[in-house]
Amino acid sequence: MPSSLSARLLLSVSLVLALFFGLTVVALDRLFREAGERAMQSVLEVHLIALLAAAEGDGSRGLRMPAQLPEERFSQPGSGLYGQIRDASGEIVWRSASSAGAQLAEGPVLAPGDREVVRLAMLDDIPVMALALGIEWEFADGSMRRFEFDVAQSLDLYHAQVERFRRQLFIWFLGLMLLLLTSLALLLRWILRPLRRIETEIAAVEAGSRAELGGGYPSELTGVTENMNALIRDERARLLRYRNTLGNLAHSLKTPLAVMRSALQAGQPDLAAFDTQIARMDAIVGSQLRRAATSAGTTLGHAPVAVAAVIEELRGALDKVYADKQPRCLTETDGNAVYYGDREDLTDLIGNLLDNAYKWSRSTVRITAQAEEMGRRRRGLRLAVEDDGPGIRPADAQRVLARGARVDEQAEGHGIGLAVVKEIVELAGGSLTLGVSPLGGARIELSIPPR
Amino acid sequence: MRLLLVEDETLLRESLTAQLKKAGFAVDAAGNGSEGFYFGTEYPVDLAIVDLGLPDMPGITLISRLRDAGREFPVLVLTARDRWQDKVAALQAGADDYVVKPFHIEEVLARVNALLRRAAGWAQAVLRCGPIELDTSRQAVEVAGVEVELTGFEYRVLECLMLRAGEVVSKAELTDRLYDQDFERDSNVIEVFIGRLRRKLDPHDELQPIETLRGRGYRFALDRTADRT
Repeated sequence: MPSSLSARLLLSVSLVLALFFGLTVVALDRLFREAGERAMQSVLEVHLIALLAAAEGDGSRGLRMPAQLPEERFSQPGSGLYGQIRDASGEIVWRSASSAGAQLAEGPVLAPGDREVVRLAMLDDIPVMALALGIEWEFADGSMRRFEFDVAQSLDLYHAQVERFRRQLFIWFLGLMLLLLTSLALLLRWILRPLRRIETEIAAVEAGSRAELGGGYPSELTGVTENMNALIRDERARLLRYRNTLGNLAHSLKTPLAVMRSALQAGQPDLAAFDTQIARMDAIVGSQLRRAATSAGTTLGHAPVAVAAVIEELRGALDKVYADKQPRCLTETDGNAVYYGDREDLTDLIGNLLDNAYKWSRSTVRITAQAEEMGRRRRGLRLAVEDDGPGIRPADAQRVLARGARVDEQAEGHGIGLAVVKEIVELAGGSLTLGVSPLGGARIELSIPPR
Repeated sequence: MRLLLVEDETLLRESLTAQLKKAGFAVDAAGNGSEGFYFGTEYPVDLAIVDLGLPDMPGITLISRLRDAGREFPVLVLTARDRWQDKVAALQAGADDYVVKPFHIEEVLARVNALLRRAAGWAQAVLRCGPIELDTSRQAVEVAGVEVELTGFEYRVLECLMLRAGEVVSKAELTDRLYDQDFERDSNVIEVFIGRLRRKLDPHDELQPIETLRGRGYRFALDRTADRT
C-alpha cells in the first residue's frame, strides 16, 4: 500500500474509473453494432424491393432484368452490393454484374413468403450481410413459378464505422479519466492543505519558533489541534515544574549542606546535629520529588482508579507490617468510589493515612470511601480514616494545616504522613479536615473533586 | 541469628555488615541478586535484608524467587523509593517489612529483631520465661526485674535459645546461626558462651535456665509466660 493518503485515493479512484469506463465501453459498443446491423438490414430490404420492381416476366416463363438498373452499384464490379435470382430448381436466373461470377446463395430455394437474413456470409472472401426472399411470380398467362431473390452488401464499410466509433469512444473516455484524476489530485491538495499546515506548525513548535498550533483549522481538525495544544501546554508546564523543583531542591539542600560544612570546619562536628540535617535533606528530597512527579493538575486523562481495590492492597500490606498489633480494620467502601488520577498518588494518599491510623490505633481502624456529588459531570471522592488512638495533638494539627507548611518542617507523630497527604490533596484541588472520631482517636477526612 | 544482607552499594553494605555483627548477628553479605539467591538457598539464613535496587535483578524478583524456592525466613526490604506503590509491591512479593533509605541503624535492628521474634512465634516484643525477660526491642535482659549486662554475642545466644524455649537446639545449629561462613568453627566457643550465660543469669545456680543434653545440644528449660501467637 502506498503510504500517502492522496496516492491511495488516486490509485483506488483510477481502478474504480477504469472498471466503470470499461463496462460502459463494452455496452456502448454493443448498442452501436446492433443499431448498425438493423440499419443495414433495412437498406438490404429496399434493394430487394427495387430488384423485385425491376424484374419482368417473359413469354418463356422466365424472368428478365433490364440492363440498366435503378441502383448503379449492381452494375459496377466490386461495388460491394450484389444481387441474384434463382428459380425453384436452384438455377441462377440472373446475377448482377457487380458479383463478377460469385455465387450469392446456394442450397435449397426458400419457399414463397419465407425470408432469411444472414448477418455474416463470405462472398469471395469478402464479409457480407445477405437477405433472401422466396416469391411466387404470376406470369401474363396466369401460370405461377417460384423464384428466390438474393441481395448482399459488403460489411467493410460497417466494420470501418465500428472501428472509428470504438477509437473515438476510447479517446474520449481516456481524456475524461485524465481530467477527473487531475482535478481530484488538485482537490486533494486543497483538502489536505490543513494537514500539511499542522505538520509545518508542529515542526515550528519543535524548532521553538512557535509557541503552539494556530487557529482557523477546519472543524474536523480543531479537536486534534486543540488537544495537541493542550498537550504542548501540559508538557511546558511539566518542564517548568521540573525546572522549579530542581531549582528549589538545589537551593534548599544547600542550607543543610552549609550547616554541616561549617560544623566540620569548626572542628567539633556534633553527630546529632548532622543527623538532623540529614533528616531534613531527606524530607526535602521526598517532598520536592513528589511535587514534580505527581500528575495532579495535568490535562491528560486518567482511567478511574477503583478506591476499594487500592484500600484492599494497602490493608494486605499493612496487616503484614503491623502483624504484632493486628488492629481491626473496618472498611466501608462504596463500589462507585473512584479516583480520577494517578494510581500511585491515590496509593500514597491512602497509604499514609492508613499507616498513621495503624500506628496510633489501640485496636481499631476505620476507613470510609464514597463517591460524592460535587455538581460536576463526574463524581468526586470523599475519604475518611479514623482510629481509636490518642488523636492528633492540636499543635501538630495546626502545624500541618498552616498555609504553606512544608513536609521538611513537620514533626514526628501524625505529622509527616499527614503533611504528605495534605500536599497531594492540595495539588488535586481538594480539602482536608482534621477531627475527632467516634472511635475516640483521630479522624481525617478528605474531599477530592473529579477532574 | 544468621542474617543475609543483599546490598549493592559497597559502603552501605560494609557499614551495615559491621553494625549488624556488632549487634551480635552472623552476616552473609551479597553484592548482587544472584549471589544473594545463592546464599539464601545454600545457608541456614534466619532473615534476609534485601535492597530493592540491585544491579542484576530487581530485589522484588529476588524475594519472589526465594519464596518460590521454599525459603520462608522473614525478609526486610531496604528501599530508596518511598512511594507506597513500591512498598505494597515488595510486601506482596513476599517481603515482611520495609525500611526507607536513609535510615538509622537502630530502626533496622528494631525491625530485624521484631521479625525474628515474630517468626519464632512470639507476639510481644518482650520474651518472658519465668523470671527471665528478654526485651527484643531494647536488646536488654532482666532477671527478676534486675538488668543483666550481656555482650552482643551472649545476647544472641540467649535470644536464639529463648526464641525456641522448650525445644532442643543443637550445637551445630547454634554455630550455624551465630557464625557466618568466614568464621572458623570451634564448638568449644559455644560451650564457653553457654557457661558465661549461666553464670550471669543464674549466679547462685537456682533457676538452671539452660539444660545441656549430651550429644544433642541445649534447651532453654523455663516455660514461656508471654502469650504465643
